[in-house]
Amino acid sequence: MSTDMNAVRRSIFPVEGDTWERIAERELGDAENGVSQLQSWNLHVFMRPAAPEGSPRAGNPILPSDVIFLEPPLAG
Amino acid sequence: MYDLIIRNGTIVDGSGLPAFSADLAVQDGRVVKIGRIAGDARETVDATGKVVAPGFIDPHTHFDAQLLWDGYAKPALSHGITTIVPGNCSLSLAPLKAKHRMKLVGMFNQIEEMPYKAFEEGVEWNWETFEEYLDRIAKGLAINVAPLVGHSLLRLWVMEDESMQRTATDAEIGEMQTMLRRCLDAGAVGLSTSFVDMDETLQPVPSRYADTRELDALASTLADYGRVLQIVPEFYDPDLTIARIDQLAELSLKYGIPTTFSPLFVNGDNVAAVERVMARVDEQFARGARVWPQVQTRPIDISFSFAVPSLLFIRFPTWYGIMRFGTHEEIVAAFSDPERRKALVAEAAALDALWPRLILRQVASDANQPLVGKTLAEIAELRQTTPVEVMIDLSLEEDLDAHFLAADMGHNDDARVSALLGHPRVHVGASDGGAHILSFSTYGDTGYLFSHFVRELQAIGLEAAVKKITADTASIWGIPERGLLQPGYVADIAIFDPKTIARGDEYYVQDVPGDGSRYVRDSIGVASVIVGGEVAWQAAKGYADVHRGAILPGASA
Repeated sequence: MSTDMNAVRRSIFPVEGDTWERIAERELGDAENGVSQLQSWNLHVFMRPAAPEGSPRAGNPILPSDVIFLEPPLAG
Repeated sequence: MYDLIIRNGTIVDGSGLPAFSADLAVQDGRVVKIGRIAGDARETVDATGKVVAPGFIDPHTHFDAQLLWDGYAKPALSHGITTIVPGNCSLSLAPLKAKHRMKLVGMFNQIEEMPYKAFEEGVEWNWETFEEYLDRIAKGLAINVAPLVGHSLLRLWVMEDESMQRTATDAEIGEMQTMLRRCLDAGAVGLSTSFVDMDETLQPVPSRYADTRELDALASTLADYGRVLQIVPEFYDPDLTIARIDQLAELSLKYGIPTTFSPLFVNGDNVAAVERVMARVDEQFARGARVWPQVQTRPIDISFSFAVPSLLFIRFPTWYGIMRFGTHEEIVAAFSDPERRKALVAEAAALDALWPRLILRQVASDANQPLVGKTLAEIAELRQTTPVEVMIDLSLEEDLDAHFLAADMGHNDDARVSALLGHPRVHVGASDGGAHILSFSTYGDTGYLFSHFVRELQAIGLEAAVKKITADTASIWGIPERGLLQPGYVADIAIFDPKTIARGDEYYVQDVPGDGSRYVRDSIGVASVIVGGEVAWQAAKGYADVHRGAILPGASA
């Protein structure tokens, strides 16, 4: 991407099997504290009901098409 | 002898160039001459004092079902619309296996507020593939149709129930590409997907279970045909919308395809957010990407009764749960039970600024007729109660057949909407034609463009406004031989009075299969609408028994 573009919130798309824990470890290098940070930056996912029991994604609210932010909103 | 001559009109040819006076001749469905025309014609239309423009193109509709019983897409055609794009938001009516029909009806009901009964009584389910669906609607078409393929339908076809559970395997993605190719070969204009929609059980629609690998593969198939990708982003959040713009831009650059997202709303309270979104669009265009935002012209008005679920209540789980999953009797019981009513009133307090402004727009009983047209604040004062209580009381008194209007709910900042409409990268769309039929009229956005933004506000010129809804749209969407009045182009033409063109008042009409009703608006100031060289609608005579609509870009493209 061109370097003269304005900065936007850093984000990723999930990969197969991603959970809050996996993303926190891979992207933030901090599985312990990273999960709560990720959840607070991604209320659009965190507030969504998790996939039901019996589903391949049981207990996980993250959809494969989601945008997952890796930082808080940028200062105005 | 020509087939048709339109005489003495003011030609606004769709290019954005200044209007000029001329006649226009049509032969074999195409414009053949523009100028002073001496010859005769089988049919002559006098356009003195009128604008002669290319037929308007509506790129965001959900006429998929209506086209099965109404090849005119009424009343869109009467507003000057000669081409519609159905199949938006990941939902089309094909490809669709027989066993998934009711699943799709549920999604249409939830997302586009299309009644179950309309499908039950208006649809003869005699297709499965996209080709079969197009054959089915093509027989009676009076309007052109540039259909999108719904991503959720592709997933459902290939992955069945697991389309709403997991990502696809490489083999399944390959099957989706094969099916998409079949749809594009049959004439589809592109692919639609959604990142926000939910089905009738409030679970994410199939397209939301696709990972980037899948969307990338489908975009590569679109690239083979140069066709468009449409998405519904998380339009309520600018950071998410910007992330989707970047996603689209990468696909556009990688595969050389046009992309578009809808809707983009602007209000007084989100100006900075929309400016950020548009700045990102501009930056991505500067890189060479094509990410075209769609903006609707009309403010957001929502009507509702408690007989059917309304998206207005989706932020109130108790209210929405009752409307979505309750029977008529259960809704009445909930409203009548003091404790449950108390809980509903408490939940509604979060929107206390809204309820007083609601207008009672329709009731069944004679007793309440004098209240029609009053706000809930006014009625509450008369009855010495609160607006929410009076809304519930009226609904019970009318056996849920009391209709309320929430007017001017948003997208109503004229200066901001004008600025968007004047932006060269914005095109007019997001009408949702044919959907939300019990919430608002999705017809007349083009009339409103001319009456409000061209005449009243003078925010955009006549020629620029015509270009926005003709040549720009045709070019963005790859709709061939439409959008301009030039010799050789197909004669899709709207003739209208620039001094009077407008949208009529919204009203409720019972013309949906299954004795269903919907909100519509008549056109004002549109004189004639010509599709494929034949007059398909005239103000004086109504709809003609001509069926020159085509599938665009079509199987031969």
